[in-house]
Amino acid sequence: MINNNISEVITVNMGPQHPSTHGVLRLVVDIDGETIVNVEPDVGFLHRGTEKLAENRTYHQVIPLTDRLDYLSPLSNNLAYCLAVEKFFDVNIPERAEYLRVILAEMARIASHLVWVATHALDIGAMTVFLYAFREREEILDMFEVGTGQRMTSSWIRIGGVRADMPEDFFVRLKSFVERFDANVDTYENLLTNNRIWKMRTIGIGHLSADDTQAYGTSGPLMRGSGVDFDLRRDEPYGIYDRFKWEIPVQQEGDTYARYKVRMKELRESNKILQQALEQIPATGEVMTDDPRVALPKHEDVYERMEALIRRFYIVSKGFKAPKGETYQGIEAPKGELGFYLVSEGEERPYRMKIRAPSYVNLGALNKMAKGHMLADLVAIVGTNDVVLGEIDR
Amino acid sequence: MTFEQLAAKLEALFPEKLNSYTEFKCNFIRVKDVAAYKAVLTALRDEASFKYIVDVVAVHWPKKREKFEITINLFSIENKMRVFVKLSGEDNKFPTITDIWPGANLMEREQYDLMGIVFEGHPDLKRVLLPEFFEGHPLRKDFPLKERSWFNNADEQGLGLKFSR
Repeated sequence: MINNNISEVITVNMGPQHPSTHGVLRLVVDIDGETIVNVEPDVGFLHRGTEKLAENRTYHQVIPLTDRLDYLSPLSNNLAYCLAVEKFFDVNIPERAEYLRVILAEMARIASHLVWVATHALDIGAMTVFLYAFREREEILDMFEVGTGQRMTSSWIRIGGVRADMPEDFFVRLKSFVERFDANVDTYENLLTNNRIWKMRTIGIGHLSADDTQAYGTSGPLMRGSGVDFDLRRDEPYGIYDRFKWEIPVQQEGDTYARYKVRMKELRESNKILQQALEQIPATGEVMTDDPRVALPKHEDVYERMEALIRRFYIVSKGFKAPKGETYQGIEAPKGELGFYLVSEGEERPYRMKIRAPSYVNLGALNKMAKGHMLADLVAIVGTNDVVLGEIDR
Repeated sequence: MTFEQLAAKLEALFPEKLNSYTEFKCNFIRVKDVAAYKAVLTALRDEASFKYIVDVVAVHWPKKREKFEITINLFSIENKMRVFVKLSGEDNKFPTITDIWPGANLMEREQYDLMGIVFEGHPDLKRVLLPEFFEGHPLRKDFPLKERSWFNNADEQGLGLKFSR
């Protein structure tokens, strides 16, 4: 019980080495007794200047930089950037590449949500689910390794398609994973959904109303957990998402528990999309467009045709020129709306690239969510925000 | 509501102050007059359901007469439409929109930090990604691309440390 007669606000420091801040997030917290009066996030410890770097790289060379933004779902970042560049050219992506992109993006979403549920539960005190969730995440990373050669920063989605086709082993593993995954989500839900401690720690914590989420710009599960039925995959369709049937989970409560439920349902819905994509994907076909404006000529052509050799050399050493103008592409990344705003001056390099990082914008609502709660709940609120510092600091 | 209808509606509200165009499948509304800027944004939020603020982008054009440009990225969930509201200025001073969308707070701080845009009326305008003692604004085109020493001989943070080379 706070003695209101002697109200004394003290300032405490949380992070940047605090284990529940998922990286290097420093919070300056003003507390009255144990009640939070004000939270101010202090970020930038991981700032690498991605936007400035991109202004001095060719369009192809920016792709590896995007991997390092949200390092838990690098393929979503690749996808957003490549779609933004493709908007300049209106490139026709081959069918098989479109399906591979959806498969990779949804796998990245599952991997990211698994890390989220594992660490969020670990922060609050439920150790067991951490082990189970990381078991499945490991399987996804293994599949990435089989398919792309890298577990995390794979840079596999390229402008005009994907880097190369996936080996047969990738699809065998993925089919087996998709069949088992729903049962695995049941396991996590068995551990948490009706767990009394979990409910006490999450219900009513970090409330955001539907109007607040829009005014603060918090997207993704933070919006859907507050009763706003919004998903860029449906509302501003990109790629081939209009070919799949899935539901957009929405919860009305707007607290940490609601956002937990939204993310759990999203795991199942992503699995549904994976299932349909595996059924529909054409058995063979090109995975890179033959549009000479953006795509590298194939190796076979380079060895035989002079023009292809020159074109390849030109694109690799100088890059291709994008038309003058400005464009934006946002995608539904695991954390929310990830967008790339590109300004081109008709050169080989973007004149300006602005990354709309969902974690950064979601962090803006942290003070609103945490005010009036106990200091111990701040851990749950940071967890439910699902921050990734690589993306916040850029 | 399509973008043409929205543009016509705004044109009726703010005659000859806007320039609406579509470029690479993105809808832009350029505000020609700074005085009408906040009224246009408020009208977009209240009358055209653009409640969701997505982003604030600043671009530096050192060779143009209007050297800085602000782009507000808005989305209407009801109409499933995205618009970009643009405003150019000769100097780096722009009105803040934190009173219309509180979420613009962090976005504007980032643009102040990296681009040096001063948002007049912003409640807490300070650096966010870079340290307080950083000199210059790196996303400006005249920012030199070279190795910098992060700590000079002076102990700016007052930590009692020596950072001499």
